[in-house]
Amino acid sequence: MSEWVHVAHLEELTRGRKKVVTVGSEEIALFLVGDRVYALHNVCLHKQRSLAKGTVFNGRVVCPGHQWAFDLETGWEEEKEECQPTYEVKVEGDSVHVIPQRRVLTEAPAVRD
Amino acid sequence: MPHTVVTIGAGQAAAVAARTLRRRGHDGPIVLVGDEKYRPYQRPPLSKEYLSGEQEPEDGFLLDEQWCADHDIELRLGVRAARLDTTQQCVELEDGSRIPGDGILIATGSRARRLPGVEGDRIVYLRDLDDAARLRGYLQPGSRVVLVGAGFIGSEVASTARSAGADVTMLEQLDVPLEPVLGREMGEVCARLHRDHEVDLRTGEVVESVTETPDGVTVRTRRGTVVDGDVIVIGIGTVPNIEVAERSGIAVDDHGVLVDEYCRTNIDGVFAAGDITSHWHPLFGRRLRVEHFDNANKQSMAAAKNMLGRTTVFDDPHWFWSDQYDLSLQYAGHAERWDEVVVRGSVEALDFVAFYLDAGVVRAAFSVERGAEMYLAKELIAAQARADPAKLRDEDIDLAALVS
Ligand SMILES: Cc1cc2nc3c(=O)[nH]c(=O)nc-3n(C[C@H](O)[C@H](O)[C@H](O)COP(=O)(O)OP(=O)(O)OC[C@H]3O[C@@H](n4cnc5c(N)ncnc54)[C@H](O)[C@@H]3O)c2cc1C
Ligand code: FES
Repeated sequence: MSEWVHVAHLEELTRGRKKVVTVGSEEIALFLVGDRVYALHNVCLHKQRSLAKGTVFNGRVVCPGHQWAFDLETGWEEEKEECQPTYEVKVEGDSVHVIPQRRVLTEAPAVRD
Repeated sequence: MPHTVVTIGAGQAAAVAARTLRRRGHDGPIVLVGDEKYRPYQRPPLSKEYLSGEQEPEDGFLLDEQWCADHDIELRLGVRAARLDTTQQCVELEDGSRIPGDGILIATGSRARRLPGVEGDRIVYLRDLDDAARLRGYLQPGSRVVLVGAGFIGSEVASTARSAGADVTMLEQLDVPLEPVLGREMGEVCARLHRDHEVDLRTGEVVESVTETPDGVTVRTRRGTVVDGDVIVIGIGTVPNIEVAERSGIAVDDHGVLVDEYCRTNIDGVFAAGDITSHWHPLFGRRLRVEHFDNANKQSMAAAKNMLGRTTVFDDPHWFWSDQYDLSLQYAGHAERWDEVVVRGSVEALDFVAFYLDAGVVRAAFSVERGAEMYLAKELIAAQARADPAKLRDEDIDLAALVS
C-alpha cells in the first residue's frame, strides 16, 4: 500500500512551480521550491480551500482562505498548532514520486523564533 | 518573570496567551477569569458557520478540557473581575474573591455598541454565543431579517441569512457601505455583493426608532422609511471593555487600554492584548485599536513572550478576513487617507487586490478571492514598500518579485 507512485514529471512543475495530482482519493499539491519538491494534502484542514492556490514564501505555503501558513516540510502551522498532512516525495531524474499516505505531526516540532 | 499569570477576560487573546505561555516554558499557575459561562471560544463563526448551523459551539472552543487539565490551566468562568489591585498584586472578582497574580493580562475585548433603549427578544447585538443562538432561531426560509449597519459583521449576517432563505433588508447610514475604510469604489463593490444576492440594501438611512411587538419589530428611519421584520440585528460597531482598567489606575483613552509596542500598560507586570488595546504601532507611527481575530492572536502571543522576558515587538501590519457569499474578502494594513487605489485583477469578475498608496507607499490592501496575493501584500505593507503602480497592476509580474 505504502509504495512510491509516479505522479508527475519535473518539467510539469518548472513553469507554475505547483501542481495538483490525484492518487486514488488523495488530492495532493506539489510545490517546487529551488530544486526540491514538497507534497501536501491539497485540501486545507481549516475550511477546505485549495492550498495549490496559495503562495509559497519563506519555506511555508500560505492558504488563500485565511492565511494559515504551513511548513512545506512538516505541514505544521505554528500559530494555530495544527498540522496539514504531508507526503513523502522523491525525485528520480525527471520523475516525481510520492507515497500517497498522509503524515501528520501531533505536536509541534522544536520551537523556532 | 511572573510566578502566577492571571488573564482578565477569557476570550481569544486570553486563550492564545495561555497556550503561548505554556509552550514557552512558563510553569507557574495560569488562571483565566471570564464573565461568560463558556470556555474560551472563537467568535468569527458566530456570524458564519455557527449561525448557519454548519457548526456547533464545541467546534469553536479554543482550549479543550483535557489540554487545560494536562497543562494546569485554571478557568474561572461565569464571574466578572471587578478590579486589579496593583499594589497587592491581585485581581478582585465581583463575587468578592481575590486571585493573586504577579503577571496580569487584560484581555477584556469589546462589546457591541448599542442604540440607547433599544433592547428586546427580537433585537440582537451579535457578540457572544447566546446572541448567535437567539439569532439562529430566526433564520429560516421566508423569515424577515432587518440589519442595521452594513459593516463587516452586518454583511456576514446578511450573507448567512440569505443562504438560509430569509428575506434581508439592510439599513446603512452612509451612502456607500464601508466608505471610510475602503473608499468609494471598493465600498460599492461590497454594496454590489449584497444587491447581487437580493438583499434590499438601503443607504443613507439613519434609524430613528425600533419598536418590538409580540410578533415582530418595526424600524423607522429619519427619512420616514418603515421596515417590518421578525428580528433586527444591530451591527454599528463596538465599544472597548475598559472599565476594569479604569478602576485600577491603568491608563486608557477613548479607544482602549494604552499599551506600547511590547504590549505593556503603564503598570509594571500588567499587559494587555486583543480588541481592548489602543496600541502604539511602530509601522504606522500611531496608536491603533483594531478588532480582529489575527490581531488578538498575534498581539497576545507577543504579550506572553514579553511577560516571560523575551522582548518581542508587536508590529504586525494587521490583517483580517470576512467570508461573505462564498467569497473570501481580506484586508491588510491601515490607511485613513491615500492618494491612489491601484487595482490588480478584475473588479468586475470579483477577483482582485486593491492597493492603497499614500505618497507612493503601500499602506493597505483589500482583496476579493485573492488570498494568495494578500500574503505578499502584507509583506509590502510591512516593508513600507514604494511600489510602482504599473508593476502592481501587471499580472505578469509576480508580486513576490516586488517584495525585497
Ligand atoms: C460575530 C463576530 C464575527 C467576527 N468575525 C470576524 C472575522 O471574520 N474576522 C476577524 O478577523 N475577526 C472577526 N471578529 C472579531 C474577533 O472575534 C475579535 O477580534 C476577537 O474575539 C478579539 O479577542 P479578544 O480576546 O480581544 O476579545 P473577546 O474574544 O471578546 O474576549 C474577551 C472576553 O472577556 C470577557 N470580559 C470582559 N470584561 C470582563 C471582566 N471584567 N471580567 C471577566 N471577563 C470579562 C468578555 O465577556 C469576553 O468573553 C468577529 C467578532 C464577532 C463578534
Ligand atoms: S481554508 Fe485554509 S486557512 Fe482557512
